[in-house]
This record gives sequence, C-alpha cells and structure tokens, in this order.
Amino acid sequence: MIKIVTITLLLAAAALAQVRPEDILKSPNADWLTYAGDYRGTRHSPLNQITAANAPSLVPKWVYHVPKATKLEATPLVHKGVMFVTAPNEVRALDARTGRLIWEWHDGRAKRSDVNRGAGLLGENVYVATSDCFLTALNQKTGALLWQRQYADSNKGVFCSSAPFAVKDRVLVGTAGGDTGMRGFVAAMNANTGNEMWRFYTVPAKGEKGSETWGEYVEWGGAATWLSGTYDPDLNTLYWTTGNPWPDFYDGDRKGDNLYSCSVIALDVDTGKLKWYFQFTPGDTHDWDGQSWPVLLDREVNGKARKILVHPNRNGFYYVIDRVTGEFLHATKLNDLVDWATGIDARGRPIKVRGKDPSPAGTKACPGVRGGANWMAPTFSPQTGLFYVITFEQCDIYTSSAKKPEPMAGFSGGGAGVKPRDAGTFYLRALDPATGKRIWQYPMPGPGIAWSGTVSTAGGVVFVGDDDGHLIALEAKTGKHLWHFQMGEHLFASPMTYAVDGKQFVAIASATAVFSFGLFEPAQSVPLVNTNE
Amino acid sequence: MRTLIVWTIAGAALLMAQHVQDEDKKKRNPAIGNLAAIAAGEKAFNAGCAGCHGTGGTGGRGPNLANGRVMWHTLSDEATFNRIKEGVPSGGMPPTPGSDEKIWQLAAYVVALRAPASESPQSGDPVLGKTLFWGKAGCNECHSILGKGGKIGPDLSDAGGSRSATVIRLAIEDPGSNGSKGFEKAHIVLKDGRTLDGVLKNRNNFSLQLQDAKGDLHLLLMTSVKEMTVARNSVMPANYKSRLTAAEIDALVAYLAQQTGRKS
Repeated sequence: MIKIVTITLLLAAAALAQVRPEDILKSPNADWLTYAGDYRGTRHSPLNQITAANAPSLVPKWVYHVPKATKLEATPLVHKGVMFVTAPNEVRALDARTGRLIWEWHDGRAKRSDVNRGAGLLGENVYVATSDCFLTALNQKTGALLWQRQYADSNKGVFCSSAPFAVKDRVLVGTAGGDTGMRGFVAAMNANTGNEMWRFYTVPAKGEKGSETWGEYVEWGGAATWLSGTYDPDLNTLYWTTGNPWPDFYDGDRKGDNLYSCSVIALDVDTGKLKWYFQFTPGDTHDWDGQSWPVLLDREVNGKARKILVHPNRNGFYYVIDRVTGEFLHATKLNDLVDWATGIDARGRPIKVRGKDPSPAGTKACPGVRGGANWMAPTFSPQTGLFYVITFEQCDIYTSSAKKPEPMAGFSGGGAGVKPRDAGTFYLRALDPATGKRIWQYPMPGPGIAWSGTVSTAGGVVFVGDDDGHLIALEAKTGKHLWHFQMGEHLFASPMTYAVDGKQFVAIASATAVFSFGLFEPAQSVPLVNTNE
Repeated sequence: MRTLIVWTIAGAALLMAQHVQDEDKKKRNPAIGNLAAIAAGEKAFNAGCAGCHGTGGTGGRGPNLANGRVMWHTLSDEATFNRIKEGVPSGGMPPTPGSDEKIWQLAAYVVALRAPASESPQSGDPVLGKTLFWGKAGCNECHSILGKGGKIGPDLSDAGGSRSATVIRLAIEDPGSNGSKGFEKAHIVLKDGRTLDGVLKNRNNFSLQLQDAKGDLHLLLMTSVKEMTVARNSVMPANYKSRLTAAEIDALVAYLAQQTGRKS
C-alpha cells in the first residue's frame, strides 16, 4: 500500500512538473504558459495582489541583461517559478524570483538572425523557432537539446520569428518574410518528435481554388503568418492571421483579392483543413498585414449571445466576426485618421476611396504603413468588460514601382514613409469589444516608435509600454495613470504578469534586458551561510 | 566647406575600397575544412612541430596552439602561412621546409585545433566511442545527447559542433582543469528541517540553484538555508585517464565530435 501511495505521489509530482494541455487552458495564473497568456489571446491575468490602490508602490525586483541583445521582442513565459526568454536563436531560463540565469541555449549554426517573439511550453519541453526555421525542442530543466526539425527553407525567402503555439499534442508554427516574396503557411508539428502533421498554405498553388485571385507571381505571394494564433478548444478551431500580399505596394501583377492575404483563417486543429476565412483588406497595397492575433470572446452582439472574434486591424478598422461561422458582424473605425475607405460594407469589404493607392509620385493615405494598430499585444478584461489596444494615429506617403518583381531581393514594389514624415501619436484605447465604441483613451506622446502592448489583471490594472520607454500602470476602468518606470530604452515587447510563492510580479523585456517588478518590501539582512567547504 | 566634406568623403571611400581590395588579394587557405588535407597537416605537425608545440598542439617549449592564450587565431590565412613558412626567429621558431601545399596543410591543422571537433579529423573509432559512452564509460548517466541520458552534466547534443577536440579531450582526461563551479556536489539543510542533495548549478550570497539526481531544479533563497556542505571537486569522475585506454579516449572524442545537434 505504501508503495502504491509512493508511486502515486511520484507520478503526481512528475505531472506537476509537466505543462499539460489542461494547464495551458487554465493559463494565465501564477504561470504564464503561452505567448498570449491564454489560448483565446485575452492576456488577462486573475492575479490581484497588485491593485489600482497599491500599484504606485511598484519597484523593480530584478533586471537580467540578455548578452548582445539589441531588440528583444519576446513575451517571457513562466512555469513553476522559471522564466523562459528568447532572443534570436537563443533561449534562456531565469529564476523568475531573482532574475538569475539557470541555463542558456544558443544555436551556433543558424543561418539567419532575425527578431524572435518567444517560446512555447508543453510537457517537459520548451519550444523555439530559429531564424532559419528549425523548430527546436529543449528540456525545460536543463536546456538540453532534444531535437530540431526544419520546417521552412530560409533559401526561399522565409524566416521564422513567432512563438511556437502548443495545442493538444502538437506545436503550431508560422512563417515570416512576406515583404520580399515567399509563400506563407501554418504547420502543425508533433510535439514529441517534431514531425510535420499538416500544413496549410496561405497562398494557394497555381490552379488551386483561390489562385485565380492572384497574378503571375502567386508562388511568391507572401501572406506570411508571423505572429502566433489563438485557439478555441470547444470548436477545435485554430485562428490565425495573415500578412500582406507581395509586392507590398504595387498590385499591377496581382490584380484581385489575393487570397488568403490580410485575412483571418479558421483551421481544424486536427487536420489543418480550412473551415472559413475572412479577408480584412482584399488586394492590399499598403502593407497592412492582418497580423494582430484574433481575440476570442463570448459577448452579446445586437442582443444575441455570440462566440465572436475581434480584431483591431492595421487598416484602421476594428472587426467583430462570428468565430463559429466566419460571418462578418460589423466593423467600426478604430482610428481617427482613416481615409482610404469610408467604411466597411455589409459583406465586410472596404468601401474604398479613389486615389489612395500608392503611386510613383507618392500618395498620402491614412493609416500609415505601420497601421492603425499592429502586433502590439491587446488585452480584454472580463472585470471591466473592456478591450484595450494600442493604436497609432499617423499617415504616410506611399510610393509604388512597376519594376518587374524580383523575389528575395529586398523589393517590395514601392515604399512608404517618404520624409518629412509625420511622427504620429500612439494612444492606448479602451473599447467596448462588441461594438468597437471608444470608452476612454490614454495618449502617449513620444518619438513615434512604440512597439509594446498590454496586459490586464484582476487587480484592476492595465500595464502597457509607452512611446518613450516607460512601463506604465493605468486604472483599467478609467485609464487613470497610477505608476510609471523609465526602462532606459525603447520597448518592442509586451508586459506579462506571474507569481512565485504568492508574490505577484510584472515583467517586460526592454530592447536589451528583462525587467521584473513587484510591490515594495523593505530589504531583509541575509546572513552568510556556513558552506563547510 | 561643402566641397571639402565631399572630397573628404570621396577620399575615405577610395581608401575603404582599396582596403577591401587588399583583403581580397590576401591568399586564402585552400586546405581549411578539407579533412584529408588537415589529416596530412597533422602528420606533418607531429613530425616537425610537436617537439616544441606538443602533441595536439597543447604546448611545450613552444606556445599552446590548441587552447592556450596565443594570438595566432587572429592572423589571416596568409599571415599564418608566412608564420609557419618563415618561422619566428626572435622567438626561436625555425622556418618550416617543404612545399606551399604542405604549409597550407599545416596551417589548416593549426586552425582545426581550435575549430569545432566536427570540422577536424579524429583518429579514434566513433563506433567504439558510442558503445563506451552509453556503456562501460557511463557518460550517459550524467550527460544527454538529443534527449537521452542523464540531466546532471552538460548536454552533449552539440559537443562536436560547439567544442574543439582538445576541449572535449581535456574535459574527459582532466575535468578539474576548467574548475568545478557549476558542478559541485552539495548537501543542504533548510531552516524548515528538510534536506536536499544535488549539484550546485549557480549560487551567490542571496540565492542558489540546486539540481537533484532526478534533474529537478530547486531555486532557493539563502534566507531559507540553514547550512550546506559543498564539495570542492566537480561531480565528473577524475579517473577516466586511468579507467580507459588511450584508444578508448580517442574513440570517445571521435564519437562526441560527431554530435552536432541539427540533423536535418
């Protein structure tokens, strides 16, 4: 009997050390187990030790400088007090309580070094994609290499930057490189072996359904999948957004909608079969990737309870879609500066304004090329019922070039941002997610180079990186400023929150370091321990 | 003023272009990375150079070329060639006789001494090395390769891609040569009465990281530690040189040299 109890306890301990799919379903809590915190992409934490009342007492608890880092974009993950942080072709495990390095892994053979946005966790493994697209599995405790599997060829214009997304027994991966010609796809890899289970190309092959919406260069069409997706376990459906068609700014060789670029696709997670798609920007010519991940909410829309998907799009509109059927419900202007379309029609297509496409001489259009919103993490708080999103008010002058497209040569069919360029202004906006109505906004004047997003907590606080290197805390209900801290450099990553031994932390990567904050506590003297050496 | 700036920039550009041309003109060693040529270089090295530089270039009367603090690795291919061919009379190194091909081979061998083990020829039998690693030598009790093996020692999945053969050999023959930090055995008594045994991965006056025999991590604050006993030595056995034959150690080095992580 004792033996059985012992074995049971050992098995329980082993299970506790593992990240199970059901654990990710409950994330975030003390842990933060997947890129967006939870499968639905809401980035809302139930932690409530840090509140609107005590947030002014936040202080830095530790800083870890990532060697040679120049532009960290990852959201750290935390499991049982261990934090996992990625840099290009690198993973580090840190003690989440002290910030001290536990192990580090570096792929010295990677053929590229591009940005990296994070890791995935499942079982005892931590997953990361190298820049040259090797899905890599490491042991969480030691950083030991388990396997690497190449899933895209960096010689064909593809590079990989997004955090692997662990669902059920598989790891979903995406692709980047759509601005210089490539063919995007989402693939499912077996979490234990790395073997590919299915692949869905976001640009159809010549002759396949949807290829008629492209021209001659369909095989280089882009529609990259450079940010992680979201997942509804009840519908067994994966939602993934896609990037711009290529060449970005000139559509002379690709007249048509260019499916499935600038879209959200709903895929059966078991088979990779397309359930439905919705295209935000048909035949895009402004590099308005549809990239921010689709956030999955259950809300009442027009008096009817719905499973919806909301999406603040780079094209300046905010979309609400039925995520069961793909039915377009409605869209509203997210930005004040939107002039390329007067609205979105009943079918979900933009009502375009003539003369807003890029031209050889340059055409001013709004939003600018960085979009009315971009990949900066949004959050939804069930406590306030508000959806928080970073928006950018700015216009650009877009140029086009009819030069024969040459893939993988840095050619994007034109450009944007001809100088003098309007620096623009970032706003954190709190919306009613069902209607898109703006409830409050917090302007963030600065140099116009912010790439940080948000996290909300049950403590009634929204944390966000601003446009001048501050991590700031706002009251979630009203947007009232509570606290800020100057990180000393610009921010390209979004904050997250976790707890160790009952103490809540808020962490964010700056350009070169990871910072973790907590409530002020007076220092305790630490006596020297006899080591009997 | 503007004219002056333009001329200055133009001059700088010309100088840079000249520099690039000079770099291009420098001779490149055709033997680098060619395993047969490196093996020929090793043979020549053992015959003519090892007397001063030691077998495997590990040093003697002449500098250690494998893992010592010498600056040869910053030399260009051509400068390395000239150094070998002409010698260093001021330091007592004589010129090296022989064809240019032989000198390039010698130079390639010297470069390979510090290159990843996977890129230099190994004399040992990797098949025997594999048997030893997973059997008699017991390396797998602590070390892992691609997910199999122990968790206490460093992962060796990329041993051949990340370490030179000399570094691998030294780690086997003399594990204490690089110090024992990160691999010290420790016994810890916590203030709540519990005890922990394992390897100290990382510690300072405020916190420590202990890995137990199962591979589990214990991240402790020193305020919770009552006392601890720390061994001075690495947990890596120090007796492999006497436990294994020279051929067996060569075999282990050859097997580990083949471990380069990426398979596809």
